[in-house]
Amino acid sequence: MKEITNKYLIVAILLGLIFHGSSLFFTLETTYDALIHLFFADHYTNSWFEPWNYKWYTGFSVMGYPPLVHQAIALFSMIGGLKFGLFTVTIISILLFITGVYRFSLLITTNRTSAGYAALLAVFSSSFIETLHIFGQLPSIIGISVLMHALPEIYSWLKTGKYWYLATSLSLIAVTVTSHHVTPIFGMVFFIFPLIGMLIMDHAREQVKSMKAITFKVFLNSFSKLLKRIIKFGIASLIIIIGCILPYWINSKNNPITQVPIPHGSRDNFLEVTSSGLVFFLIPWGILLLLLPYIFYRYYSKRYLFFGLSITILTLLGTGGTTPIPKFLLGETAFNILTLDRFTLWASIMALPLFGEFTFRFVQGDLKSLIQLKFGAVYHRICGGVLAGLFIFMTIFTMSLGYFRPSQPQKIKMQPIVNFLNQDDHYKWRFLTLGFGDQMAWLSSQTNAMTVDGNYHSARRLPELTTRPIERLENSKFKGVAGIGSLQQFLTTPEKYNLKYTFSNDKFYDPILYFCGWQRLRQLENGIMVWERLNVPPIPSVLPKDDVPKWQKILWGVIPITTVLIAFLLNIQMLLVNTLRTKPKIIPEFLKFKSNYSKFSNSVLRISHIWSVILVLVFIYNIYNFYIKNDAQRHPENVILSYYDALDFKEFETAYQLINPASNKTIAQYMLEVSVTDGLLSSYAKLDAIETKILNQNDSSATVKVKTNWITPLEKINRVDYKSLSKINDKWYLEPDDIDTDLPPDQLFSNNATGYFNQGRRRITTEQTHHEDVLKQPVLEVLSAKLVKLDNSYAIIGEIQNIDNVPADVILKGTLYNDSNKVLATYNAKYHIKHKLMPKETSAFKINFEGIAWSQTQDSIPKAFNPDEFTPVEFEEQPTKFNLHAAGNVSSSDLYKRIVISDIEMNSKHINGTLFNSGIQEVTIPQLLVTYYDENKSITWVDHKFLEEGIRQQRKQDFNYKLMDNTPIQVITDRMDNVFVNGLPNTSISNKVVPNRIENHIYTQLQPINHSEFSYIKIETNAYIGNPN
Amino acid sequence: MRLNLIYIQVIILLCLSSFAIKTDAVDNVSVTDIQLLTQKNTFQAGDTITLQFSTTESITPLMYCTNSYGSTLIKPSNKDNKLYYRLPQNLSHKIGSLYWKLLNDTTHINGEIKIIPKTQAVKMETYIGPPSIEAGGTDYTMLVVIPTDELDNPLPEHTSVTAKHQFLNEISIDSIQTKNLIAYKTINSKDESGRMLVSSESVNINSKEFTINVLPAIPKSFTISAEQPHNYADGNQQTVFSTSILKDKYGNIVSDGTFVTFSITTSEGTVLKTYGTTIKGIAQARMIHPDHQAQWHIKAYVAGMAESNTIDLNFQQVIKDFNVEFSKHNRTITVGPLQSFMNQMIPDGLQVKLFIYKNNELLEQLNKTSVDGYVRFNLKPNIVQNDSYDFIIKTAGIEQSFNTKTLW
Repeated sequence: MKEITNKYLIVAILLGLIFHGSSLFFTLETTYDALIHLFFADHYTNSWFEPWNYKWYTGFSVMGYPPLVHQAIALFSMIGGLKFGLFTVTIISILLFITGVYRFSLLITTNRTSAGYAALLAVFSSSFIETLHIFGQLPSIIGISVLMHALPEIYSWLKTGKYWYLATSLSLIAVTVTSHHVTPIFGMVFFIFPLIGMLIMDHAREQVKSMKAITFKVFLNSFSKLLKRIIKFGIASLIIIIGCILPYWINSKNNPITQVPIPHGSRDNFLEVTSSGLVFFLIPWGILLLLLPYIFYRYYSKRYLFFGLSITILTLLGTGGTTPIPKFLLGETAFNILTLDRFTLWASIMALPLFGEFTFRFVQGDLKSLIQLKFGAVYHRICGGVLAGLFIFMTIFTMSLGYFRPSQPQKIKMQPIVNFLNQDDHYKWRFLTLGFGDQMAWLSSQTNAMTVDGNYHSARRLPELTTRPIERLENSKFKGVAGIGSLQQFLTTPEKYNLKYTFSNDKFYDPILYFCGWQRLRQLENGIMVWERLNVPPIPSVLPKDDVPKWQKILWGVIPITTVLIAFLLNIQMLLVNTLRTKPKIIPEFLKFKSNYSKFSNSVLRISHIWSVILVLVFIYNIYNFYIKNDAQRHPENVILSYYDALDFKEFETAYQLINPASNKTIAQYMLEVSVTDGLLSSYAKLDAIETKILNQNDSSATVKVKTNWITPLEKINRVDYKSLSKINDKWYLEPDDIDTDLPPDQLFSNNATGYFNQGRRRITTEQTHHEDVLKQPVLEVLSAKLVKLDNSYAIIGEIQNIDNVPADVILKGTLYNDSNKVLATYNAKYHIKHKLMPKETSAFKINFEGIAWSQTQDSIPKAFNPDEFTPVEFEEQPTKFNLHAAGNVSSSDLYKRIVISDIEMNSKHINGTLFNSGIQEVTIPQLLVTYYDENKSITWVDHKFLEEGIRQQRKQDFNYKLMDNTPIQVITDRMDNVFVNGLPNTSISNKVVPNRIENHIYTQLQPINHSEFSYIKIETNAYIGNPN
Repeated sequence: MRLNLIYIQVIILLCLSSFAIKTDAVDNVSVTDIQLLTQKNTFQAGDTITLQFSTTESITPLMYCTNSYGSTLIKPSNKDNKLYYRLPQNLSHKIGSLYWKLLNDTTHINGEIKIIPKTQAVKMETYIGPPSIEAGGTDYTMLVVIPTDELDNPLPEHTSVTAKHQFLNEISIDSIQTKNLIAYKTINSKDESGRMLVSSESVNINSKEFTINVLPAIPKSFTISAEQPHNYADGNQQTVFSTSILKDKYGNIVSDGTFVTFSITTSEGTVLKTYGTTIKGIAQARMIHPDHQAQWHIKAYVAGMAESNTIDLNFQQVIKDFNVEFSKHNRTITVGPLQSFMNQMIPDGLQVKLFIYKNNELLEQLNKTSVDGYVRFNLKPNIVQNDSYDFIIKTAGIEQSFNTKTLW
C-alpha cells in the first residue's frame, strides 16, 4: 500500500502554528498561569540545581512542581531571554498537541482522513484555546499531548510484545510526568485503562469472527493472555512515574498540603454561578455539546466500551458542584484540592477523534449521503453552514474572552519598580504588591528583592496564609473576609516578615494601609503608589531554608531534560526509519481494525436532531430570562438594581439615565453632585449584596427599601435606604436624593501649618547608617497602659503622648505573658491609635490580640464577608502581665489635625454629633477614637468608628456613634513596669522630660455620659486623606 | 565573615604547628640552647620589629605571636647560629601588648613586647549624639574624640584634646585628655534653645563640624483669645482661637508644630474640641459657630504640661421664630423664611428636622438643609399615608409643634 502524505495533518500543523503562534504574543502574558511558569523558569536560570527559592513566601521549594517545562524555558532563555523561552516552549507545545491529537485519533478511528480532520479541528477547539490562551496551563498541555503520543506506543507494546515499543511508551510517559504530575496519574485511569480495554477487545476480536461474537468469556480469555504484558507495563510505568520526579513525591510527603482549600470556580454549581458554568463547562465543550449523542453512541459501541465509561466519568467530574456526583466520586478531600476543569479538558480531548470522525462522515461519508437522502442536499449544506458557523463563533468567542473580560489588570511597566527596589538598598526589605494580578510573578522574576506573597499557593508555608482560603495577598479584596483579614495581619505586624514596601496598583487598599500605620512614599512614573512602614528591620543576611540531600538536587536537575533527550532519540528514530524507508514500513497494529463508515445509524441522527432542538430551546429560554432580568426599567426593583450596579462600576451616565427626567436634574448637575461626594462608601466600597423590598407601590409611584452590604477595606457596611420611584411612560425612574446644601463661610481662606522634610545629611554614598544621617528617635511617653479582658478577648489599652519636639510615627507592640513569664501572644496596634502624632499630641490606643484566624476549627470559616471581624487568640494559659514597646520615628506625612468636634448631643445609647473640617485638605475617611473612663476617670476601653462619608473643607458632617453595651470589662493588670519607649524604660523618660506632669489634665476635658458601666468618654479624631494637595 | 577566615587560618596554623612540634620532637635528640638577644621590649608602631635569638644548632623553631587582633606563626631566618624573627606588619602596626612564644620542645622561652602609638595625630575620629537635646541644662549630648596616628592607632593615654563648641555668642573651649583610647566631653544644654556647633582639636589636627539642635523644653502656662466676625449663632461663621506665644520656663518659644487642644465646654455640658499647632509659639484653631444660642467656656491645653486661662463666649440666637406653611393637602410643609440677625436669609445649610408622630409614636424623622432661607418637605403618599399626624419641626434650637394635621 502506497502511503500518501496526510494533507489534513499538514494543513492542521500549518494553521495551528500560524493561528496560535501569532496570537499567543497578545494573550499568553495576560493568562493566569504563564507568568508563574516564567518565574519558575527564572529560578532555574539562576540556580539550576538549588531548589530553594527565597523570593516568595519567605522561601519555598520549587520541588513542589514538576520541572520540565520550567527548565525548558530556562534553557531557551539562554538564547533570547525568558519571554523568548516561554514563547518557544509554547510553540513546541502547540506542535505536540496537534500531532498528538492526530496520533490518538488515528489510534481510535483507525482512519487517516478522520484523524486528519480531528487534528484540524483540534487546532481551533475551544477547550485547547481556553487552556492555552486564557489559563496559560503550559505543563498541562504538554503533559496531555505527550500522553496522546504515548498511547499508540502502549497499544503496540501490549499487542505485539516488542520491547522496543515498551521503551518508546515508557520514554514518553517519563516526559509526561516530568512536565505535569497530575496528567499521567489520571491519564492512567482515564486514557490508558480504556486503551487496554480496547486492546483486549481487539485481541478478542481476532479470536472470533465478528464483534458480536465477543462474549465475556472470550474477553476474559484475551485478558488473561495479555495480563503479563499489562502487568509489565503497569509496574514499569509506575516506577517511571515515581522515579522521574522522586524529589517531588518526597517533598509532598514532607510538606503535605494542610491548607484550607481555596475556592475554585470549577467546583461551583454551574447553574447558580453562571460565569463559572460558561468558563468551565460551556466554553471547553463548545460545539461538542451538540454532538454529545454521537460521541456517546460511538464510545459505547463494543470496541470503545471502556472509553465510553471513561468519558462519562470525566464529563460528570467536570460538572463540578452542579451535581453531588463529583464530590461523591472523588471524596471530600480530593474534591477540594483538585481543580475540576481539567476533567472537562480531558473529556473534550477524548471526544476530538470522534469529532473528527463525525466531520469526516458529515463532509464526505455516509452521514452526508444519509442526510441528503432524507432531507435533501440543501439541508445538508445549511446544517454544515450552521455547524461551521457555531464552531467558528466558539473559537473567536473563546479567543477574545480575555479581551471582553480581562482576567488581569492593565499591563504594568515593571522597570520603575525594579529601579526603585535597586535604589538605596530597598531590596534589603521584603515588598508586597497589591492589585498586580499574576503580573507579580513577572516582577519577581525581574528583581532579586523578596516578597512575602507569592503566586503558587501550594507552596505557601506561613500559617497566616495557609489557614485562609486565599491564593495570594495581592488580590485579597476578591477573597472577602479571609483575604482582607490575612492582609491586615501582614500589614499590622510587618516587622515580623521584614516587610517595608508596598506597591499599590489599586486605591481600594489605601485606607487599610493608612490605618495600619503605613505612609505614602511617592508615586512611581508608572502610576504605582509606594507605601512604606517605618521601624522595620532589614532582612537578615542568612535566611533559613529547608535543605534536601544532594542526590535529590542532582536528580531534579538532570532527569527531566534527560527524559526528553531519550524520548526524542527513541521516537525520532522510528520516524526516520519510516521516512527514509530503511526498513519495510511497519503498519501499526491498530490500523487493522477498520471502522465501518458505510451506514450511519438513523436513530442516532434522529436523537441528534432532538438533542439539538432541546439545546436550542434551553438557549433561547436563558436568553429570554437574561433580557427580562436586565431590562432596567420594567420593574421598580430592576431600576434599583441597575442603579446600584451602575454606581458600583462608576458608570454615572448610566445611573443618570435612571433618574426621573421630570426632576429637572441635568447630567452636569448630577455629575457635579457625584464629584463632590467622597468617602469610604463612595470611593472605597464594593457592593457585595443587595436586597430590595417594595414597601408600597401604585400605578405611578413606589417606595423601595434597599438593604445593601458593601465591602470596604476597613469594615463591612450595611445600609438601609428608602428610595422613591415614579413611573413615566411605562418606565420606572428613581427620584433623586436630596443633597447637602451646606455653604462654607469663606470663599478663599488660608491656613498656616508646619511642614517637615527629612533629607538626612548624608553624602551621596551607599554607606549605611552614616552618622550624620541618623535622626534621633522622637521621645514618646506612655501615660497609661492596662491589660483588660472583654468577653473572651484580651487587649492592652492606654494613652500615649509624643513628648518630643518633632512629629512622630508611633508603632506600638504589645506582648502578653502568663505567671511563669511565658510569651503567649504578640501583636501591634492597628486601627485604635493615631499613628502620627504632632509634638505634645496624645492618642488613646488599644492593641487587640488577633490569632491566626480559624487555625483551630477549619469548618467554622464564616462565608459572609466582614473585614473587621477578628478571631481572638485562643490562649492555653491565662495572660497576667504584658509588656509594651513603643517606637517613635520622625515622620513628615499625614499630619493633618484639622477635624474638630463642633456639636454633640447624646443619650444613654447614642452620641450624635457633628464634625467640622476647619483646614484646607479634603478628608476622605474620618475616624473617631472613643475612649471610655470609669467613675474614677481611669481608662477602661478604647473603641473606634469610621465615618462612611468624607468631609470637604469647611463643611460639617454628622455622625452617630453607638455607645458600648453594658459588658463589664475586667482589668487584669495596670502595672506599667514593662513599658519601654525606643528601648528605654518609660518611667525614666517620663521623669526626665516631663517631671512635673499635670496629672488631671486629660481628665478635665472628659465628656460625662449617662451610662451604667462608664462615666466619661473622650472623642479624638483621625483622618485619612485620599488625595493630599 | 572575615573574622571567621582569620579563625580558620588560626586553627589551621595551630594544627600545622602541632604537627611541626611532633616532627621536631622526633628529630630533636640533643638539647638545644636558645637565648633571646634582643634587649628592647618597647617599640613604636610602624617600626620594623625583629626578635633575635642565639642558637647552637641549625634549627628553625616557629614563633607563635598573639595580640588583641589575632595570632600567627613566624618562621625565622637562621644566620650564623642566630635566629631572626621579623614580625609581620599586621602585628607591628598595631599598638598594645604582643605575646610571643618559641615553639621548641626543649626550651620554653616566651615573652612580651609593648608597641606604643606614634605621637603625631593624623586623623580625628569624632562622634556625637544625640543630635538634638532639650534646653534647661539637664539634657546633654556627648562628644567622643579619638585622635589617631597614621596607622589608625589611637594616640597614647593623656593626649590632650580640645573640645570646642559655639552657642549663641559664646565659644567655649574645653581641654580634655584621652583615657582608655578615647576622649569624651558631655556638653550640657543652656537655658536658651538654638543651634550649637561642635568641633575638636588635638595635636594641631581639627575635626569636622557637628551640629546640635538645642530644642525648647516643655511649655508653661499661656493665655488664649478668640476672634470672631460676630457673636451670633448662625451656624456658618467661624471663631478663631489663638494662644499667646507659648514659651518654656526659660523663655524659649516652643517648637513649631506643638499640639494645642482647645476644649470648649458648652452651657449644655457637652465638650467640644478643636485643635491647633503652633507656629512661632502661637497656635490657632477654628470652630464653626453653633446654630443655636449657646455659652462656651474655652480652655486650651498642652496635655499634661501647660494650660491656659478660661475665656467665655456667648452666642446670640439669630432665628427667633419661623413660619411653617402646610399646602397641597398638607403634604408640602414649607419652613421659612429663616432669617438671620439683620433679617437677611440665613446662609444655606441650616439643618431643619421634621418629626412625624402618630399616637405619640415617632413614625419618621426627616432632616433637610435650608436653601435660600427655606426648607420644603414633600410627604409622598406612599411614605406617609392619608391620615392625621402630629408634627414637630426643630431648627436653630427652637421647635414648633402641629397637632393632628390631616393629610389627604
